Amino acid sequence: MKGAGRLYPWSQRFNLKLLLLVLAIGLGINVVGVGHLLLAVRSALSPADLQLLLHWIGLLLLVLIPAAGIYSLVSEFAFWEGWLEGLPAPSTLFDHTPAVAASHRCYLVYLDGIHQLERDHPPRVSAFLELLEQQLAAETLLVRGLETYTVMPVALAEDAGSAWFWRRLFALQEQHPNGLVQLLAAVLVQANNVIKVGISSDRRYGPILNYELALKISLRLAELGFRPGGGSRIVLTGYSGGAEMAMGVADYLRRITQAPVSIISFCGVFSGNQVLDQLSGITTIVGSKDPVAAFGRIAYPGRSPLLPLSNWNKALSAGRIQRDCIDGMNHNGNSGPFSEPFRLRVIKAILAALALPVAAPERTGC
Amino acid sequence: MLHELERLLDGLGGWLIRADLGLGLLLVVGISMSLSHVFALFANRLAARQIIWRLVIDALVLAAAFLLTSSIDMVLLNLYGSNPVHPSAFVDGIASCLLPACFYVAVAAPYVGETMGLVIWVLMHLNVITFVHVRFDLPWDQALLLTTPGYLLAVLLVALLFRQSWQRGYAMLASELGQP
Repeated sequence: MKGAGRLYPWSQRFNLKLLLLVLAIGLGINVVGVGHLLLAVRSALSPADLQLLLHWIGLLLLVLIPAAGIYSLVSEFAFWEGWLEGLPAPSTLFDHTPAVAASHRCYLVYLDGIHQLERDHPPRVSAFLELLEQQLAAETLLVRGLETYTVMPVALAEDAGSAWFWRRLFALQEQHPNGLVQLLAAVLVQANNVIKVGISSDRRYGPILNYELALKISLRLAELGFRPGGGSRIVLTGYSGGAEMAMGVADYLRRITQAPVSIISFCGVFSGNQVLDQLSGITTIVGSKDPVAAFGRIAYPGRSPLLPLSNWNKALSAGRIQRDCIDGMNHNGNSGPFSEPFRLRVIKAILAALALPVAAPERTGC
Repeated sequence: MLHELERLLDGLGGWLIRADLGLGLLLVVGISMSLSHVFALFANRLAARQIIWRLVIDALVLAAAFLLTSSIDMVLLNLYGSNPVHPSAFVDGIASCLLPACFYVAVAAPYVGETMGLVIWVLMHLNVITFVHVRFDLPWDQALLLTTPGYLLAVLLVALLFRQSWQRGYAMLASELGQP
């Protein structure tokens, strides 16, 4: 997808401040515009008709939102059913012959946030990852370029069932002269990834999606020379929604690779529903001014202290979760983790988390 | 003996004709609930034809489950209520109370689905309590007491049916992973 390259600079500028500004302007226009619209509508429709219209719009939303979620599930389950080729058996993933050259001791797998559209990361994220890679120890390999929100090896614009829709949306996002239309198109593209985060956190569907994603990560690790039982460990590092995907896949990855798996999240939005008790460690790096990560604690009841028996709270009370707060850091944009003022501090926090002692194999069951 | 059987079947036929609206609604509710559960069948790696059969059978079982729970409400009302209850009128009334469950298919949606399911279940019970209160002139607390056993049975039956299917799917997933 050549055009997608041009999307990145725009995606980088898409931050919370811009969204709030556009929403505020939109709200202002609406306050003025809706008044005029209401006068026009009221001359054509009676109050009873208006009420009926509002009911129908509400009903339509009630139908459309679940329909989008249900449609998103179809490809995951078609893949699971084996109707789409490419779901390997875990036993066939790895080469079980001893490695010729010494493989890496630690595989640091990066799972991107919901802004990810295809394999390549946006430029600011790529720059961050290059800096991180430079500072990693020689025995640690950074695994990047994983499409976190698709289980199939194709980009959205090549998806069999919905390619026409995504291509049209990408075109609107890139070429439409109206900024508001561009923003809405970008929000819709990212909404697809948000739905995937919702699927991962759903206790009914999460296991299937997370298993498929764990297989995808395992395939990538196998390509890079990972061998089960070779003494290597895996660290999943997830940004924003990537943290939820990391928590979802971690236990499956541990079982498939038979290696200790730990998680480092930064600005993470996650449910805490997943199986966390067998992981080697969890570190969450949070910004003190990150409203999105804070919203995650409200959106997912499993992280509320009111539910002490949730997987997250049990891991928290067992002392398996380390928390590192970075003062002044936001979720994205010029104060986000990929911005120049904060990226070195985030990298430092990641390196500190990597240096933490790994739980013994007996404890992790690997 | 034959005359007795004929009389029984005539009675049943007459009742079915009178309660056709209620029974039709129960079937719609059964179909909607069955569809909400379709991904559990996918999780079990059933073939397309098996999935269709299971959807139809589950819809009928769910409709029958709601008929059973309605009959429990009816029996309790006959035993402890003050007014006589006609079965067909009761089934029609109760089935109308289950109208929110016609949208139960939306429960299949990820993340928001379970909340929607909870709202639908609460709405259904409130509807039934209100119906019994208004239609049979029972005080609220008595209406709540008489309708809750049937409601709990419905919740239990639906939860068992759905849970069993998901558990089989997860067992399949676990078998692919092997022992940790």
